[in-house]
Amino acid sequence: MAEKFDNLEEHLEKFIENIRQMGIIVSDFQPSSQTGLNQKLNYMITGLQDIEKCRQQLHEINVPLEAFEYIDQGRNPQLYTKECLERALAKNEQVKGKIDTMTKFKSLLISELGKVFPEEMTKYKAIHGDDPPS
Amino acid sequence: MTEMFSTLYGQNEAQGPPGSSSLGFGLGKPLPPNQVTMAAQMPPQHGDEGPALRKPGAMNEPFYLLRELPVGNELTGNTNLITHYNLEHAYNKFCGKKVKEKLSNFLPELPGMIDCPGTQDGSSLRSLIEKPPVCGNSFSPLTGASLTGFRLHTGPLPEQYRLMHIQPPKKKSKNKHKHHRPQDPIPQETPSDSDPKKKKKKRDDDPDRKKKKKDKKKKKNRHSPDHPGLAGSQPNSNSLR
Repeated sequence: MAEKFDNLEEHLEKFIENIRQMGIIVSDFQPSSQTGLNQKLNYMITGLQDIEKCRQQLHEINVPLEAFEYIDQGRNPQLYTKECLERALAKNEQVKGKIDTMTKFKSLLISELGKVFPEEMTKYKAIHGDDPPS
Repeated sequence: MTEMFSTLYGQNEAQGPPGSSSLGFGLGKPLPPNQVTMAAQMPPQHGDEGPALRKPGAMNEPFYLLRELPVGNELTGNTNLITHYNLEHAYNKFCGKKVKEKLSNFLPELPGMIDCPGTQDGSSLRSLIEKPPVCGNSFSPLTGASLTGFRLHTGPLPEQYRLMHIQPPKKKSKNKHKHHRPQDPIPQETPSDSDPKKKKKKRDDDPDRKKKKKDKKKKKNRHSPDHPGLAGSQPNSNSLR
């Protein structure tokens, strides 16, 4: 799995470097640079072909669209991962709090009902069994 | 007439108490037998819900509509899901340390101004997804005829198009693939960021160098015979004479 990403990363780095060199050639063009530019253009096409070959190996990979929004804003996409983890932890804590509160309420309700309706509560406990420890 | 009524009510009252005990009502008013039979007949007339409701009610007497508790899941919000899915390392990596804000910190070797929003120059990924470019199925190399379209005029580019080759300041990258970049064919325009750093380094080095030079000079002068201090300390100096 990591090898597929490394392969794609390598091809992308070569492609970007080729484009960068083309930009340097074009920024101050000389007649003698024409052959070099033509070569770089063909390297660009072969680079695109190599990247397309990598696509077949990675068709199962899904990237969330929200990560793309971070990239479009010029922000680090690792911030998206960080915020996902923080939101998951916050929600986990929230749900845990609800579970704990409901468990305490249940035990309190059973104890109070046991005081008011002792016989019925003994029958209820016989049907449902003893409450598991919270 | 009254005897008929009394006999009728007398029969009803006699049948009342057994009927009330069968229904489970303690000290309530006994129902006449007609209403008792009607009540027994009522549930089946409701349709499908009647038999299903009566089954748990009959199972869990004296509680009516007491259903079985649902089967609890092992994984609930009560457990720490981050440790459950072995994400502690990821959590410490992303949330323990400060993650830098800019995209150039994530991709330090990428050339160009990548910290600007993509919507400004139309290079956003969202536009690429929403409106994918229309292209052919395969990439074919350019022939000689098609390369004639790439014949350029000599001379530098206008200033508004010169930013492409400028790289963001390089930082220490932890990439496994370290590509040795070949020398550029045309000397690159010196980016403005590197010069003040070099100048700062020189300025920092200069006072240190000066101090070292001074120290070296002092040491040399002390050991040389022409130094006045040494000449004064010697017993054979002219001053003592």
